[in-house]
Amino acid sequence: MSIINYAARAITFKVVYYGPGMAGKTANLQYIHRCLPEDSKGKMISLATGDDRTLFFDFLPVSATTVRGFTTRFQLYTVPGQTHYNMTRKLVLRGVDGVVFVADSQWDRLRDDVASFRNLDDNLGEYGMSLATTPHVIQYNKRDLGDVAPLDYLEFLLNRGERRAPTFEAVAVEGAGVFETLNTVSRMVLVKELGQIQEARR
Amino acid sequence: MRIHDIVIHETDAAGIDAVLGRFLSDSGSSAALLIERGGQPLAERGTARTLDVGSIGALAAAAFSATAALAQLVGESEFSVLFHEGVKESMHVSTVDEDTILLAIFDEHTTIGMVRLFARDACSSVAAILGETRARPRLVGALATPLTADEARRGSEHRPG
Repeated sequence: MSIINYAARAITFKVVYYGPGMAGKTANLQYIHRCLPEDSKGKMISLATGDDRTLFFDFLPVSATTVRGFTTRFQLYTVPGQTHYNMTRKLVLRGVDGVVFVADSQWDRLRDDVASFRNLDDNLGEYGMSLATTPHVIQYNKRDLGDVAPLDYLEFLLNRGERRAPTFEAVAVEGAGVFETLNTVSRMVLVKELGQIQEARR
Repeated sequence: MRIHDIVIHETDAAGIDAVLGRFLSDSGSSAALLIERGGQPLAERGTARTLDVGSIGALAAAAFSATAALAQLVGESEFSVLFHEGVKESMHVSTVDEDTILLAIFDEHTTIGMVRLFARDACSSVAAILGETRARPRLVGALATPLTADEARRGSEHRPG
């Protein structure tokens, strides 16, 4: 749920990075945090266990430029991917405007990808939402590893709905695909909220 | 549970600011933050002193929603107040309405009783203002017309520095 504040001249969106454990959700935020200039990011908070697994969420506020005098702010969150933290995932999804689903491309993680994707749709349902109506993109991460499934197969598993979600190949720890993913989901939530003029094709 | 959209118009912001200002002087609190339950700060008073409002909003909303989930496990809909006591500074978080919470920061110059008493009044005043905002149009003035493709790109582009 975006928040428009006419007094502060700001529009704020919430984007949640979702996916199975160890798929690279936190790695996405860490790379964004490392690369953005100081004036377009806030402090990154990670509520993690001693071995760096996300316990509650990671949080990183970022902003783009102004549109018509309004600053567009995006609050990026991750969820804990491990199966038994479902209550926490539900809490983090509250008020979400857009989702990045980070899938682990490795063959032996595909079952977890599918389970997490279904779990995302179920949890959106708690707030009267669904994947069909929520802006989302899919990021196929860890493409640099050897035992990864081909893109066609990943698409068959996760992206064969009536309206296909934009997808990106990524190596999040090195930054490949990270900003393409972020910019696309940011644009989708912005356009959903404010609309965009359909310009005639030349 | 369906989440409401929130829009703060300039007159609403002035009204909320006045309520928070009155709350600070009545209760003796040093800062007050109105936070959307998803974690986004909506208004603040007394927070000029180096407080990271964005982080506080995200963490307070998470703590409050985790506490609400705990309450449901014992048959309550939620615990309407959350209190964290520190050596010098303490925090009091209370329910405004189904979409927002009010966080107060206070020190030894006042008491939890005073904060709790005046937070109750402040919460109902802010809830009344937010209730009125829901009846207003969401996109007005500069935002009344859809974006051009260029505006949509600029408003959503993040560039590595």
